[in-house]
Amino acid sequence: MMRQLLVFALARVKNLRVTEADDGVDGLRKLASARYDIIVTDINMPIMDGLKLVKRVRSDPIHKDTPIVIITTEGSQEDRQRALQLGANAYITKPIQAPQVIATVKELLRIE
Amino acid sequence: MADEKKPSAESNSPSQDLRSERDRFVKTFTRGSRLTDEFIQDYERMLDRVATLEAENANLRAQLAADRAVRDLVQQIERLEAEKSDLLSRTNRAEAITNQFTTRVQEVESEFSNLANLYVASNQLHSSLSPRGVTRRIKEVLAQLLGAERYSMYLANEDGTELVPIASEGIGGNDLAPVPIAESRLGDVLRSGEAKVEEDGDPSRGDLNRPAAVIPLVVDERVVGVIAIFSTLSQKTRFDAVDFELFRLLGQQAAAALVSASLFAQAERRLPGLEAFLDLSV
Repeated sequence: MMRQLLVFALARVKNLRVTEADDGVDGLRKLASARYDIIVTDINMPIMDGLKLVKRVRSDPIHKDTPIVIITTEGSQEDRQRALQLGANAYITKPIQAPQVIATVKELLRIE
Repeated sequence: MADEKKPSAESNSPSQDLRSERDRFVKTFTRGSRLTDEFIQDYERMLDRVATLEAENANLRAQLAADRAVRDLVQQIERLEAEKSDLLSRTNRAEAITNQFTTRVQEVESEFSNLANLYVASNQLHSSLSPRGVTRRIKEVLAQLLGAERYSMYLANEDGTELVPIASEGIGGNDLAPVPIAESRLGDVLRSGEAKVEEDGDPSRGDLNRPAAVIPLVVDERVVGVIAIFSTLSQKTRFDAVDFELFRLLGQQAAAALVSASLFAQAERRLPGLEAFLDLSV
């Protein structure tokens, strides 16, 4: 459901084409086969969670500088810092709102 | 020496007439000379005066030219001020239009966001035909769209005396007992069919005795149960307009989706035959 809402929101960002992944491993597989401008991931995912995905992405020479937005239910300052320390660029807490996602993505991609 | 002759005074000295003539001439010459000097002095004074007047005239001309230039500049400034005022007025009008446009865009974006949430929620509720799947999706709507942290879904028992919990999150087993419909907050909502939302307080601070929101679940205009959101995530400190729309959507569709899924499961997931749709009289 979260993915559906994210796709809805991201479709509002001009010239952005969305590729969906089922979990962290699927995400890494897709990242290996193409270059992406931004990664939006939930922390809570099956098989590989969002934080592990961030770590792996940051060690990938192709995507080490790709902006990452992490989404989670955790709203505490510690969780936010943990995600940011691992290399995430922005942090959105649930319940997510489409305008917040759009604004965050636009800011990271420097889109007016 | 004795032979030298002295000129006689009578023969050598000029005559009186000549002397007089000479004296007149000298006088005349002297006066003429004095007059000439005076003329020359007057002439020089006049030259000085002319020079002074010419200088004054030049100054006056320059001043006149400067005054004209100042007048032109003042006129130009007035024209520019008028242009500036016109431009400012047009800019203000353009800004007002831009502000209206921006506000409208924000409203549309907000409306879009709300519709996206409602669409996704509705789509989710009806995307499963298993009771477990529908329940899971109801829980996802509660957690991910409404930010509910502790919540429970209840259905009324057959004799209408108790609300029985059928799904929950964040609540210990001991707190999941059936709730008597009579004289309970949840029962009040079931009987009235009206959602009860604590609009003034912080929903993240709600508890089991004072739920942040209780939503009636309706099937075919009958209230068959309630969803109680006891508390929300810590960052969810108030319910927005879209949350109330989601309450309404859940109330109208969650139980219907659950009943449909249950009937489908009871029918062993067999789709009804075409004959089931032939007598609809539409």
